[in-house]
This record gives sequence, structure tokens and C-alpha cells, in this order.
Amino acid sequence: MGEETTPLLTVDNLTIEIAGANVVDGVSFTVARGEVLALVGESGCGKSLTSYAMLGLLPPAARRIAGRILLEGTDLAAMSERQLRKARGKDISIIFQEPSASLDPLTTVGSQIASAFRQHHAVSGTEAFARARDMLVAVGIPDADHRLHQYPFELSGGMCQRIMIAIALICGPRVLVADEPTTALDVTIQAQILDLMKQLVATSGTSIVFITHDMGVVADIADHVAVMYAGRIAEIAPVRDLFARPAHPYTALLLASVPRLDITPKANLATIEGSVPFPNEFGYGCRFASRCPLATDRCRAEQPPLFEQGGGHRSACWHINRVHELKENAA
Amino acid sequence: MLRYAGSRLIQAAIAIFGVLTIVFIVMHLSGDPTLLLVPQGASTQQINELRHQLGFDQPLWVQYVNYLKDLGHLDFGMSVVQHVPAAEIVASRLPYTMMLAAGALMVAIGIGIPVGIIMATGRGGWLEKVLAAIVLTGQSVPTFLSGILLIAVFAVNLRWLPTSGVGDIRALIMPSIALGAISMSTFARMTRIAVLDELSKDYVRAGRARGLSLGAVVFRHVLRNASIPVITIAALEIGNLLAGAVIVETVFAWPGIGQLAIQSIQSRDFLVVQVIVLLISCVYVLTSLLADFVYAAVDPRIRMVR
Ligand SMILES: Nc1ncnc2c1ncn2[C@@H]1O[C@H](COP(=O)(O)OP(=O)(O)OP(=O)(O)O)[C@@H](O)[C@H]1O
Ligand code: SF4
Ligand SMILES: [Mg+2]
Repeated sequence: MGEETTPLLTVDNLTIEIAGANVVDGVSFTVARGEVLALVGESGCGKSLTSYAMLGLLPPAARRIAGRILLEGTDLAAMSERQLRKARGKDISIIFQEPSASLDPLTTVGSQIASAFRQHHAVSGTEAFARARDMLVAVGIPDADHRLHQYPFELSGGMCQRIMIAIALICGPRVLVADEPTTALDVTIQAQILDLMKQLVATSGTSIVFITHDMGVVADIADHVAVMYAGRIAEIAPVRDLFARPAHPYTALLLASVPRLDITPKANLATIEGSVPFPNEFGYGCRFASRCPLATDRCRAEQPPLFEQGGGHRSACWHINRVHELKENAA
Repeated sequence: MLRYAGSRLIQAAIAIFGVLTIVFIVMHLSGDPTLLLVPQGASTQQINELRHQLGFDQPLWVQYVNYLKDLGHLDFGMSVVQHVPAAEIVASRLPYTMMLAAGALMVAIGIGIPVGIIMATGRGGWLEKVLAAIVLTGQSVPTFLSGILLIAVFAVNLRWLPTSGVGDIRALIMPSIALGAISMSTFARMTRIAVLDELSKDYVRAGRARGLSLGAVVFRHVLRNASIPVITIAALEIGNLLAGAVIVETVFAWPGIGQLAIQSIQSRDFLVVQVIVLLISCVYVLTSLLADFVYAAVDPRIRMVR
């Protein structure tokens, strides 16, 4: 795991406010070239907002109040909308959870892929279509010539996600953000899409920020993992390290609900008792304190910083040395 | 596509047949139409003669069959007042109403749709507030009142435009505005809702994610998707415009079929009224048929499935 190489993408202290609450609070992580970073966490913990912020696509209600998004040293967060438009789709791309809804229902998929290419390249329509065709082959869609002229409603969800991947990758971006790209798909299709993404990273060297709430998917695809809880990074580590030696109670409890790593379990993050606090109940201390079996007064009063564990493994917890108790209880 | 077209055509045919039947029933519902037609103080014998002459003494179903037969031959009967074919009278007035409807549609669509788009995309700005006020005014002032106000301001006070009647193209301006105003508000509101609805869809964010500006997404993708509900409104509004023409033509002394309808009702020229009612009903049916074909042209999901 190339922890020592200069990162391709650095998200530094990203903080997003909605209605006075920091729903994303001081989130930092790095992604090396050709690496997959998984961002995991329960529903509502700020994964999507983090991913939209990376492309400057926050919804109107949300505001980035701090943070840098460095892509090879260039701060995307400091760019004007005009500059961002040149970067989106070319330097950094994103795919979403609902592939069918992400396509214009009235336009053929071929012309949607081709127009994504023409957005950043001055080529003829014919040439862009030829590129679109090549891209369809690359994302494993059989009978590309026929598919090019089909409309989204004629394709399955899995096919549409392949189309979205083709659109996202046709300009050869350095980073692909994938916001729960397989959640809406059924299990076999999900595995196929994951295989496709792994293969594309291997051949193109694109880095991926892969958002999911499925620990099984994390084990399958990620090199590094950042676990988010209520808008903050709880723990970040190389994938093996995180599964072998979780250093945060939240991670430990998540993993305890995953039976075995090597059989691609379907993890359910909601098995931890209690629920995520609402942004207006965040308070001053550790945001996990209301559900944490190890919580003490200090936890409720003071927010834990990320403590370095060595080898790029960091955890935001005051009682890291007691986390193993949870593992033993679960076993 | 062929099945879709076929089923829509059959539906339209059934609707027109239904219209013919309803018009027949309504015309005979009020009792013996002969009594409406005879001058006051006519003798029973005169009444009976006229009744026989018009065929109203026959059984209802015979009258119905004859009615359909006549319509089949495009024979709409004679005006009992002017003693010329009723269809001819209506045809001579039709071009005026078509001109007026076209002018009103230009006002309604030409202003309403862009205003709706601006209101949807420029949310919260001062422009939206101004436009919202205009739309609200357009929709809440009744046609007869806006017509009279327009005459008072532009014809009587400013003397920019003729008060009423038919002259050059300028004579068409005020009636078109008066007739189109309410429609314009309807188009603006529906367009705004349709565009806002589309703007909330995932493909808009996906379009921006590949480098399109919001404006480019709106022009390339949103407007086409938003046009589908607006087409429905357009089909209904064309019918509503013809109904509104009755008032506007009266206020502006515009010699179209709306004015003719009022005159014919007053003079109990019921065959002329019948032609007008049939005409307006058929326009309703045909515009909604047209809308169905426009849907199919816009939306592959309609064109290709079923
Ligand atoms: N447009 C918005 N308006 C108001 N609040 C929002 C908006 N988008 C997100 N939020 C709030 O911000 C928080 C983080 O949302 P986000 O969508 O990033 O979560 P997530 O981790 O992606 O969840 P999920 O797994 O359900 O997709 C949530 O509390 C959510 O309610
Ligand atoms: S800081 Fe305290 S409450 Fe937070 S995770 Fe650690 S032990 Fe639990
Ligand atoms: Mg999300």
C-alpha cells in the first residue's frame, strides 16, 4: 500500500454546513494513484455530501465552510464554477446510486456517452460516437452497435450503471467517485459491476473513492477504508489493518456484525443499538458516545482527535486500548 | 407505434361520435324545438306545419338517424333566420376566430413558457417575484374586465390602438392579449412546475457532473422532458381559448364564431349554434389527438412500448 508516495487526491478538513449544523465536520483523507479508498458509514453520516463536495456539486441547502480538495496539488474547492466545469468529467468523475435515473430518458445512451466526450474534446459527432462505441465494449456491454441506439428504459439497471461508468471514464479522469454504485442493483449484478470497476482501475490507473455501507463490498474492492460516523472520520486504515485490528468501537461493532471476511458477507450496519444523532444533537464530545459501550464522561465532554496507530492507521477515540474488549465480547 | 396511433385514432373517432350524440340529445332535451322557432302568436296549424317541415314530428330515433345521415353528407341544415346553410355562416366567421386564437396562443405560449422557465431556473431572484406578480394578475383578472381595461387604457386614453372591430393587424393586439392572458398564466405555472420537477431529477446532477453548465443541462435535457406535461396543457388550452373567444369577441366587436354564437342564441338560430358546438367539440378532440402524437414524437417510451 503506497502510503509514502505523494497522494493523487487529498481531501483536507472538509466541513459542510446545513442549517447551522456541521453535517460533514473536518473530514480528511488521501487517495494514492490507482488506489481504491472506501468511505463507509450508516445512512445520513455525510458520505454523499462529501462526494458531491469533491466535484463542487453540493445541493443549494448545503455550504462548504472549510476544506480543500487537492487533486495533484490543485485545489478544486478554490476553483470558480467555470474552472470546475472544465475539471468535472475530465479530471474527476462521479457515478451515482440510481443509474437509470442518472440518464436522460429521452436521449439514446450512445449520444449521452458521445456528448460526455465532446464536452471536453473538440471532435466530430461521428468520432465521438466511435469513442462511445469503444467505451461500451470496454465496460463489457455486448452488441455495442445496437445498444448505442437504445434508450435508458430499454436497459436493465446493471446495464445503465455500465453506461454511467462509460460516461464517467470516457475522458480518462484521474479520480472516479462512486456513490453507492451497486446499492440499487441485485447481488449478482453488484458483483459484476465491482469486478468491472476493479478491472478498470487495474488497466487505467484511475483512483476510486468508493462509497458504500456494505462491509462485504469494502473487503472486496478497497485498499484503504475511511469509516465515517455522524459527519466525522471515526477511523481510517489500510483495509487489512482495519479488519484485523479495528481501533474504534464503531468499527469493531460494525465488523462484529460481519460473520466472515472471505465469504463476502452482507453486512448490516443497523445492527448496532441506538441510532445516529440528528445534526442538532451533535454536542461537544464524541458523536458516537450515545451508542458506545465504552463511553465515559470524557467522551461526552471532549471530541477525540484522530490518533496515529502507525502504518497510516488512525482512530478518533479516547479509549483505543479498550476496543479489543468489544471484539472479545462479540466472539 | 402503429398500435399506439391506431388506438388513439379509434379513441378520437369514438369521442367525436359521442360529441355528435350529446349535441343531439341536448338539442332535443329542452322539449320541442319548434316552439323556439315560431314567431309569437303563431297558430297551432302554423306550428304543426313548421314541425312537420323540420321533421320534429317523427320518432326521436328516426330524427337521430337522419341527423347522423345529414352530418355524414356534411349537411348541417339551414339557418332558420338567414335561410342560408348554417355551415356557410359559420365558415364565413371562422377565419376571424382562427386569427384571434392564433394571436392569443402566441401570447400564451410565447410569453407563458419562457416566463415559466425563468421562474423555475432563477429561483428566489427579484425577477421571479416580478414575473410571479404578472402571472397572478393574468390569472385572476376575468377576461371581460381585462378586455375593458385594455380598451380604456390603450384605445381611449393613449389612442395607440383601435377600440374594436376589424382593421389592420393592430386591431388584433388587444383581443389577443385579453384572450391569451389567462392561458399565459396557466402555461407559466405549468411550465414552472414541470421544469422544477425535472430539475430535481438525478440526470440533472449527472449532467453537471460531466461538465455541463446548469443552463446547458436545461436546454439539452430538462426542457424536452418538461415539455411532456406542458403539451397536455396546450391541448386543453386551445379548447379553452375558443370558449373564451365568446367573451372577447363580444367585448371587442370581433366578428368571429364566438360573437356569432351569442347572436345565434339570441335569435334562436339553433342550427347555427349546433354547428358551432360541434366545431368547438371537434377541435377539442382533434387537439388532444394531436397532443398524443406529439407525445409519441417526444418520448420514446410512448413510441416504442405498446
Ligand atoms: N439537500 C439537503 N437538504 C437538507 N439536508 C440534507 C441535504 N442533503 C443531505 N442532507 C443531510 O445531511 C446529512 C448527510 O447526508 P448524506 O446524503 O451525505 O448522507 P449519506 O451518508 O450519503 O447517507 P445515505 O447512506 O443514506 O446515502 C443527513 O443528515 C441529511 O439529512
Ligand atoms: S471516544 Fe469514547 S464514546 Fe467515542 S468511540 Fe471512543 S470510547 Fe466510544
Ligand atoms: Mg448517500
